[in-house]
Amino acid sequence: MFYTYISSFATFKIQMHPMCICGVTESFGAAVSCLSTSHLTDEVIRRSKRMILDTLGVGLLGTSTPVFNTVLQCSQVRMQALENSKVWGRPGLSLPPQYAAFVNGVAVHSMDFDDTWHPATHPSGAVLPAVLALAETLPVKPSGLELLLAFNVGIEVQGRLLRFSKEAHNIPKRFHPPAVVGVMGSAAATAKLLGLPAAQSIAALAIACSSAGAPMANAATQTKPLHMGNAARGGLEATRLALLSLEGNTQILDLESGFGAFYPDYVPHPLAEVTPTSHYRWVLEDQNIAQKRFPAHLGMHWVADAAIEARAKFLDKCPNADLSQIKKITLRVPTSRYVDCPLPVSEHQARHSFQFNCCTALLDGEVTIETFSKSHMNRSALKEMLLKVQLENPQDNHSSFEKMYCEIAVETTQGEMFTARCNTFYGHWRKPLSHEDLVRKFRANASTVLSAEVVEGIIYTVDHLDTNQDCSMLWSYMHFNKHMMHRDECRSSALA
Amino acid sequence: MTNWLIWNSHWHSEGWVLSSNVKCFGVNLHFFSCLFLVAERPAPEETVTSSFGRFIQSVQPRHLSPTVLQRSKRMVLDSIGVGLLGSTTDVFELALQHCQHMYAPDDVSFVYGRQGMKLSPTLAAFVNGVAAHSMDFDDTWHPATHPSGAVLPALLAISDMLHNNSKPSGLDFLTAFNVGIEIQGRLMRFSNEAQNIPKRFHPPSVVGTLGSAAACARLLSLDRSQCSNALAIAASLAGAPMANAATQSKPLHIGNASRLGLEAALLASRGLEASPLVLDAVPGVAGFSAFYEDYAPHPISSLEEDEHSFLIETQDIAFKRFPAHLGMHWIADATAVVHKTLVGLKGGSISPNLVQDILLRVPLSKYINRPFPETEHQARHSFQFNACTALLDGEVTVQSFQPEALLRPELHALLSRVRLEHPHDNTANFNIMYGEVEVTLVSGDVLRGRCDTFYGHWRNPLSQESLQKKFRSNAGAVLSNERVERLIEAVEGLDHLDDCKPVLAQLQ
Repeated sequence: MFYTYISSFATFKIQMHPMCICGVTESFGAAVSCLSTSHLTDEVIRRSKRMILDTLGVGLLGTSTPVFNTVLQCSQVRMQALENSKVWGRPGLSLPPQYAAFVNGVAVHSMDFDDTWHPATHPSGAVLPAVLALAETLPVKPSGLELLLAFNVGIEVQGRLLRFSKEAHNIPKRFHPPAVVGVMGSAAATAKLLGLPAAQSIAALAIACSSAGAPMANAATQTKPLHMGNAARGGLEATRLALLSLEGNTQILDLESGFGAFYPDYVPHPLAEVTPTSHYRWVLEDQNIAQKRFPAHLGMHWVADAAIEARAKFLDKCPNADLSQIKKITLRVPTSRYVDCPLPVSEHQARHSFQFNCCTALLDGEVTIETFSKSHMNRSALKEMLLKVQLENPQDNHSSFEKMYCEIAVETTQGEMFTARCNTFYGHWRKPLSHEDLVRKFRANASTVLSAEVVEGIIYTVDHLDTNQDCSMLWSYMHFNKHMMHRDECRSSALA
Repeated sequence: MTNWLIWNSHWHSEGWVLSSNVKCFGVNLHFFSCLFLVAERPAPEETVTSSFGRFIQSVQPRHLSPTVLQRSKRMVLDSIGVGLLGSTTDVFELALQHCQHMYAPDDVSFVYGRQGMKLSPTLAAFVNGVAAHSMDFDDTWHPATHPSGAVLPALLAISDMLHNNSKPSGLDFLTAFNVGIEIQGRLMRFSNEAQNIPKRFHPPSVVGTLGSAAACARLLSLDRSQCSNALAIAASLAGAPMANAATQSKPLHIGNASRLGLEAALLASRGLEASPLVLDAVPGVAGFSAFYEDYAPHPISSLEEDEHSFLIETQDIAFKRFPAHLGMHWIADATAVVHKTLVGLKGGSISPNLVQDILLRVPLSKYINRPFPETEHQARHSFQFNACTALLDGEVTVQSFQPEALLRPELHALLSRVRLEHPHDNTANFNIMYGEVEVTLVSGDVLRGRCDTFYGHWRNPLSQESLQKKFRSNAGAVLSNERVERLIEAVEGLDHLDDCKPVLAQLQ
């Protein structure tokens, strides 16, 4: 049904371009349409499978959040649409693909638990929900390798775009990166999955660009996850509009008034030409990704690791020490206004608070999912400790996830000082999670929503994604929920 | 429904923590303010963001002066007409197919020019917004944006959505509409950059989205913190770059502004929260300021303290006489003068052979400088095209952008003889720019024309007659004469209608 729709209304414009690809936009269009499964290297496949697994787990956990439920209510429409895609963790509930991509994307970013890259963005959450929602609607389902290709095209485009601005290398201040590059990645990935020719891929990118951009002020609020959802949705929508022959500016990535509008220093470069036999150097190959150990802003992970180390030293010296003996805590961190929150009130603020994560790590020796629950946040011992924290922003501590560090100095009432420093937390791209730990994280997240059987099914499917011809069980697995009955099951049990 | 605000405050050693419990529609909303380490004061000063939320919620029909009522009714009429005409365009058809593919055609809100067809409210707002801007025929304000197309489709879609017994009165509708316009005007005054013809972000996609959110929040009677949240959520949905102007995607900027503003209001009504400081200037964290280089916000003063004056009262709006970028209107009027002179001199129709050179003195603006436009969208954004059309025909009309007209050989002959100059005193600003044309004939004669204020500009507004004539011509492209006249009547009496069904009925 989808393909008859295409043949009735779409007109493909085959663009004849000369041997040299000069324009940046043109080069992106060419790359998106020419990259094939043969260009995927082993390392890229391995890394992207890890990203997919992590993203699915984080998404499943996220389906239990209030923000996910809010957007789900808003996205449900009265009438059945012509095509629907499954909502994660809600058996029996499907939405038009853009809306499925939207809610699932919100789920992924709902707890700030998803992956982070350098230059800074959360790349997978913008791409995976869109790719899966679209794949489900295709009459001929893509193979696992084709899915991996589309996914990687979406990641690649984001990485390339981020490299067009120096400002993008630092912790963002103006626009939230997933809302800027994420929607472009989603457009590229979905264009790839549909096999669009270069000209239409360009149109998809141009249309997506008009949906890009959300200000940083909504980070640390309940609205932040929508940035991810909207990126996934906007990119998919852009591709569908391009398929209907909508056109935008064919120079969208070349112009300051185009994608350049989002950066004060925008210097784009064309991508290298892609031929069927050439070797392609993926950004993911050269720049690995960070996967979080607990659901908070990436900067918190340095703080937690440093605080845990200082705590260990303290308890080592004074095994029965009472942590209320701490007089003062100094944190040396980079300047970043939106994660400097001395007394967070909401869970969203807590996930974006150097101070909160530091004190939790000192008190508990760890930061976990539970840390951000109301009961944990309201502990008086924690609140008292928060008052003892002071932030310092040393000159050499750059606001960049590549260069920052965290130093902690804990001063006790006895006059003793315990210091620790973290340059690279465990989970950072320089020190990636082991396979066991990554899978452990997935199991912990996914089993809040899925039965053990289904959890293992997903692990297996993702692990074998590159050799699997049929990966449709992936979205079927994501559609379960051990706490809910499928609508049809409800009806039949009522009738029984 | 009752709303009440309970302020709880407790003192911490370093400052105040404030929380408020707001009960609305039986749903408990907890609004926790962001932390201000304010040493002594019992309550923080009102932020810009919260002043906006308060304004949206508390403004009443009685605050609308006669001038405001009159001007906004003109805007409503023009916008409907333009939308109806726009329903005949390709881009509209495309957007509609896109939406229909997502939803079965029997939902609740009407679609311009498609009798009997319905979509969900947000998608109806989307396609109708696309229609409104599809030919660049909709109203333009100062500072520059197209305010009505972003607001009206969403309000109409909501009105359709509401139960027959609870449709808004005409006055409620106009209040919500004016809130949407006012918010846009206020926001644009926070930046000097916004005064000039835009270069980076297309204004309707920036302020239009928030205007739509504000208007919808008002029509849905959200409480003040929900109104603030609607604005903040909308900010994360705002912003489209200028590069897509003069392309087929531009109309989607207005469509999306309308749709996404409505979505933001609906999300806020379900309790979604966003930044309480989105409109304030917070160093190191950009909110709405992200869209501007220079941003200096002010709160809206309380309605109890001062008499509120809507911006539309002191700053009227421009309605276009033909579907093209506003800048084209100056050059068309200037060239029409030359055409008239030429006809007087030579009689009959103008032949390109008479013309040696055409010089246009216009402001510097890259996206409306197109020597050889290839599509209708480019032609609507081309000083050169509009000048040559006006020189040949004496005027620019809806028909001037049709394919046959675009391809005329006489037109092409003239286009190759056009030069542009950008005098220093011709600023790229719709309030102070001018258009000048100098046509040198092969005979050696030089004919000049200049336009400082075109007919339809806010300094020289269209008469009610001219406005209705435009409406009849537009709406008549898709509606029967009877419906056209009933719409004119209904909008004219909108502030006296008990409910807005008479308007909606003609559009179904």
